[in-house]
Amino acid sequence: MVFHRLSRLGSRIVRELPRGIFMPVFGMRILHRSYGQYLQSSPMLQRQTRSLKEALFSNNRKFCTSFSTTSEKGGEETEKINVIFVDKDGEEIHIKVPIGMNILEAAHENDIELEGACEGSLACSTCHVIVMDTEYYNKLEEPTDEENDMLDLAFGLTATSRLGCQVIAKPELDGVRLAIPSATRNFAVDGFVPKPH
Amino acid sequence: MASKVISATIRRALTNPHGAFSRCRHLSTAAAATAVNYEDESILMKGVRISGRPLYLDMQATTPIDPRVFDAMNDSTIHEYGNPHSRTHMYGWEAENAVEVARIQVAKLIEASPKEIIFMSGATEANNTAVKGVMHFYRDTKKHVITTQTEHKCVLDSCRHLQQEGFEVTYLPVKTDGLVDLEMLKEAIRPDTGLVSIMAVNNEIGVVQPMEEIGRICKEHNVPFHTDAAQAIGKIPVDVKKWNVALMSMSAHKIYGPKGVGALYVRRRPRIRLEPLMNGGGQERGLRSGTGATQQIVGFGAACELAMKEMEYDEKWIKGLQERLLNGIREKLDGVVVNGSMDSRYVGNLNLSFAYVEGESLLMGLKEVAVSSGSACTSASLEPSYVLRALGVDEDMAHTSIRFGIGRFTTKEEIDKAVELTVKQVEKLREMSPLYEMVKEGIDIKNIQWSQH
Repeated sequence: MVFHRLSRLGSRIVRELPRGIFMPVFGMRILHRSYGQYLQSSPMLQRQTRSLKEALFSNNRKFCTSFSTTSEKGGEETEKINVIFVDKDGEEIHIKVPIGMNILEAAHENDIELEGACEGSLACSTCHVIVMDTEYYNKLEEPTDEENDMLDLAFGLTATSRLGCQVIAKPELDGVRLAIPSATRNFAVDGFVPKPH
Repeated sequence: MASKVISATIRRALTNPHGAFSRCRHLSTAAAATAVNYEDESILMKGVRISGRPLYLDMQATTPIDPRVFDAMNDSTIHEYGNPHSRTHMYGWEAENAVEVARIQVAKLIEASPKEIIFMSGATEANNTAVKGVMHFYRDTKKHVITTQTEHKCVLDSCRHLQQEGFEVTYLPVKTDGLVDLEMLKEAIRPDTGLVSIMAVNNEIGVVQPMEEIGRICKEHNVPFHTDAAQAIGKIPVDVKKWNVALMSMSAHKIYGPKGVGALYVRRRPRIRLEPLMNGGGQERGLRSGTGATQQIVGFGAACELAMKEMEYDEKWIKGLQERLLNGIREKLDGVVVNGSMDSRYVGNLNLSFAYVEGESLLMGLKEVAVSSGSACTSASLEPSYVLRALGVDEDMAHTSIRFGIGRFTTKEEIDKAVELTVKQVEKLREMSPLYEMVKEGIDIKNIQWSQH
């Protein structure tokens, strides 16, 4: 009952507050939820409304730009974006990535076959992913020289390739499709898949 | 037998004024040309007896290795034999260090960063990697290549190969002085142009293209600019930043270095991507896998460093010799045409056409001067050079062209002897030539109706 009232309040605030503070995506989700919650009450919804409360009464900047998943908020969920991985056989895997997490970590958390031999320290090219849509590629920041140097060594390089460990999830990337190349520079013609450490 | 050799040596040492030089006759040909003609010193070359080794005036084909470069290579060959890509022991580290030092030396010559130099087996491999590699990488969006009709054969052949694969190539014509028409270049650029490839200094006629302007045009239209600078580095000032090149091919054996090594400059900012021709362990930034030829690379680096130090002096020396050659020939002969622009030209290349004389017979007559008609690549074929055809030179003049290449080690005596021999040959051939007789009588050759037998 309390949650119902809070979410109602939240949706009204969202409508009235200027768009600049809340992301449109975020606002939309709350609106949907406020109708949907009549039908079901999920832990996801509870988490959403709790985070709304925090957004109202705390600094927005902290909410939008948290980088590490082990922030002072502890185990509480941050906003997530949808990422679709397309593996070498063409199968699509939909996952949700919290904002601020890099793609390599997200893939490992969801058991996707993305090798990260150097664990994100810009010393290899095994987390190479191909951004399938050019407009999403343009939304990413320019790769640094070091990333480009490592990318030069990647197998199956394309014009829209990036290293997964350098792609940080942000709200503009919601719905991005990332293709995993058929092989990495660590030769495994026998089909061996190294486990992430 | 031994006494004969000893007496011959003593006779030579006492009577030959250039005593020291005659011992190293393989390096200096000045002595051979000016020495008194002894029977046992003449050389039998393909059934023809000549008085000594020919004068080497074919510097565009290749250059003799500078003794200082040889010293550097020799030392490295014996001591630094490790694989430069071995990461685990001192032999690998030493060899890697030698390669990195050479990389810095090459980069400094062209004002680039060492990280942008990829060592290859020569300018031909560099040209192939650049042209085919760039187009294959961007094959989804870019389908068009622009080049000129006077490029080196490896660029033209790579473009023809790309045409077989379905790409479109525009071969830009050049003006009569050999330079590219910048307006035509601007018009030829399309939205799907993936590469513009124009060589900096032409190997046959020696003209220097307007690189800065071409670079500016390519930058405006956002098209990568590749240049074959094999004949340019170490001879004219090269600056990849000013020229705005994305890719540049270099060769060692054109600048007094060893044969079998070259490099490709690949720009890092803005980054140009290539599909490598050689796949493997990812050496040389993944663009050219394979163990680097350490000693060749060391030689290349040493040659570049020397070229940087001596570029100005070499240019002065060679310019003096070029003027001596041209004036010497023009004083005695008429009907001598210089192919290509005289203003925008590298001083060490002089491509002359002698009217009313046939080129092959002139070459056969110039047995004691090593020159070439056209380029080494085209010397095997019977057709006259396509470069001269692109200049719009008449067929009869194209057949008669001779390319004189002057270099760091050419001497005044060699030039004087070359002038003397050339003039003698041309006069002899013209005396025999019925066309020349007719011209002297005032008949206009172009209006003659030749009858068929």
